[in-house]
Amino acid sequence: MAIVNMSNFSLFTFHSERENLLHELQKFKYVHFSNLNEDESLKEIGLKNVEIPESLVEIDEEILKAKYIIDILSKYDQRETGIKAMKEGLDTYDFIELEKKAESIDYLPIYEELRGYNTKKEALAQEIQTLKTSIDELSPWVKLDTPIRNLYSFKQSEVYMGTVPKKLRERLKMDLLETKYTYFEVISEDKENIYVLTLSSKSEAEIIMEMLKNNSFSEVKLNIQDTPGEEISKYYEKIKALEHDVEECEKQMATLIDNLPKVEIVHDYLLNKKLRIMAAENFLRTEKVNVIQGYIPTDMEREFTQVVKSAVDNVYYLEISEAQRYDPMVPILLKNSKFAENFESLTAMYALPRYNEIDPTPLLAPFYLIFFGMMGADLGYGILMLIGTLFVLKKFNLSEGPRRFIKFFYYLSYSVIFWGFLYGSIFGGIIPFPIKALFNPAEDYNLLLVISIAFGLVHIFYGLSINAYIKIRDGKFLDALYDVGFWYLALIGAIGFLLPMVIDLPAIVKTISMVIMIIGMAGIVLFGARDAASIGGRIGGGIYELYGISGYVGDFVSYSRLMALGLSGGFIASSINMMAGMVAEKGFIGIIFAAIIFIGGQLFNLGLSLLGAYVHTIRLTFVEFFGKFYEGGGVGFNLFRSNTKYINLK
Amino acid sequence: MTFTDFAVQYGGVFFAGLGIAVAVFFSGIGSAAGIGIVGEAASGLVIEEPEKFGKSLVLQLLPGTQGLYGFVIGLLVLAKLDLGMSLAEGLYLFAACLPVGIVGWRSAISQGKVSAAGISILAKNEEQSTKGIIYAVMVETYALLAFVISLILTNAVSF
Repeated sequence: MAIVNMSNFSLFTFHSERENLLHELQKFKYVHFSNLNEDESLKEIGLKNVEIPESLVEIDEEILKAKYIIDILSKYDQRETGIKAMKEGLDTYDFIELEKKAESIDYLPIYEELRGYNTKKEALAQEIQTLKTSIDELSPWVKLDTPIRNLYSFKQSEVYMGTVPKKLRERLKMDLLETKYTYFEVISEDKENIYVLTLSSKSEAEIIMEMLKNNSFSEVKLNIQDTPGEEISKYYEKIKALEHDVEECEKQMATLIDNLPKVEIVHDYLLNKKLRIMAAENFLRTEKVNVIQGYIPTDMEREFTQVVKSAVDNVYYLEISEAQRYDPMVPILLKNSKFAENFESLTAMYALPRYNEIDPTPLLAPFYLIFFGMMGADLGYGILMLIGTLFVLKKFNLSEGPRRFIKFFYYLSYSVIFWGFLYGSIFGGIIPFPIKALFNPAEDYNLLLVISIAFGLVHIFYGLSINAYIKIRDGKFLDALYDVGFWYLALIGAIGFLLPMVIDLPAIVKTISMVIMIIGMAGIVLFGARDAASIGGRIGGGIYELYGISGYVGDFVSYSRLMALGLSGGFIASSINMMAGMVAEKGFIGIIFAAIIFIGGQLFNLGLSLLGAYVHTIRLTFVEFFGKFYEGGGVGFNLFRSNTKYINLK
Repeated sequence: MTFTDFAVQYGGVFFAGLGIAVAVFFSGIGSAAGIGIVGEAASGLVIEEPEKFGKSLVLQLLPGTQGLYGFVIGLLVLAKLDLGMSLAEGLYLFAACLPVGIVGWRSAISQGKVSAAGISILAKNEEQSTKGIIYAVMVETYALLAFVISLILTNAVSF
């Protein structure tokens, strides 16, 4: 229960056996390769990098093709989505099944066919776009009811068409008034420009052009024969035909939808295959032999040896030894009880432990449970959570990660129910609590504040004692005394010293506490910075260490959130009830609205309370608790499998 | 009725009412601003990746709690309102409302900024987005402390 013991292995095999070996190891799954590329000492003795085979490029291409199919076909996916899909979950395969299935699927014809349709579709869309642009260009001239070819075929006169900025309209008109043989018309206008047409005798054409240019005229030549209106309707007909073709393409593509689940399997398989080929990047080689190093869980040594033996036909050299305790490169795999494993995500979120530390998961779980409940604290909310999570766990086919997450909340719901019971709160008091509850949050908040801080004391002392445990386990008894023992004395002494200010205690308690506190503080000053070079540095460092006691005060105060969040959740719930109650007095319609306010409001508050409880408990765990003993920073154990997206891989 | 008479007779209820207003106003303004900041950042994200809407909503919700704390304190003081309350009691309740109002106001805005930065974690590295939530919650601690003090003050002294 904790960090899984690791062994590291060195394996020498022939180059030619590599592919088969990797394949068998991927089936085995529990192998973490060390990257030997960074090991300069091995390179100095003449070992070379293993060049990645060209098949990697091929695989990448195949993955791209599979992804292409999936991207296109998922638009036509008829399978259930949402709740129902979650209920069904993903299909589960083991590695051999997946391999067999994926190898039997030939997706290339599907790819070719799909690509054909899609290219055609894109070409059609392009054509439609071009037509639409032409329509946009023509539409200002729609009012012109003469076929354009006529305009350009006059013998005696010249026609100019184009745009002029709106603000120059009057000036242009004035200018043109002076001409004799020119007809001028504004065909249409938009936000900035007017669209003008001039018809003038050829003798005057040049002057006209000059005038137009002076008014920022920009000429438009229409490359059409008929009237703009007719041309536009022709374009529309063309677009309609093209759109019909696009639809045909879509229909054709949709008929391939049955292949989607198959291609998804291929996709996930290819990702694993790619991982397998890429693994060779971690190895080094001589002319004929590959050098492979890595880690395996210690209790799998025999299985591993067996796998290697059969994969390389008995020709190999394998050395397995227990991993070094203080080696930072040892990968971390956590194994916990059925209860505690659901809290592993919290540990991973902070940082995985180093190999010489302990797994904090089982240690943080009980307090997480208690604190979460105290912040959620409502019988109604707890029961809703319990029913919801139970329903999901029983009815849904979840993959490992989500299942643990739901299970996490399933356990937490008991705590919420328990505290809801102590607080006597059902949906913020909509149903009166039948018996007298232990606490009445609205009145006993001082008591609850004291309880919260007391929980904080226990939590922090617990954290400190874990620190002591780790040190004693490693044989550093003095360190345990200096770093934890003295703090215990100082803190307990200080509490005993200050407590008589609040409650009546015999005077002797104060005296004894004072002595304990002084011993503790003196110890911290003398030994807190024992690594310092000079005496002055040591005392100065020690005093600085002692200053850390202000941090402890902050830590204890931080636990007041246990009370505050429980209370604010309760108050918000009861004010929702109050509002619903006020509306409900207004007759039948009032009752309907009251129900909406009650259900909506309580669900909102439920979500908010749970979110608050989740993150604030994480904070207490990470900052106040972990700060006392936990460092973390280990590397995760990479299973020799790729994350699958469309299936569950056992 | 002179102004002094008025202050003596109704000053208590006036200041208690003003306290409610301060608790609700300021924390509400802060939360609205904080939620607004996160909302703007989140909208940019949802254009490209609409499937992250749910997670971004959680981040957006975080600076909203200050307004709720102010609201709760407001309700508690509301329950104590009485036309005949003394000027001293009114002023006392007014003071009790200040922590949640003022700390709620500023902390919600700061928390909004942290949450908005959390949105960029969500955009670039979705798996780590819970850490953004935790950063934002660090800010909320101080709003909670102010809430606790306001809560205790509201009930600590009986006139």
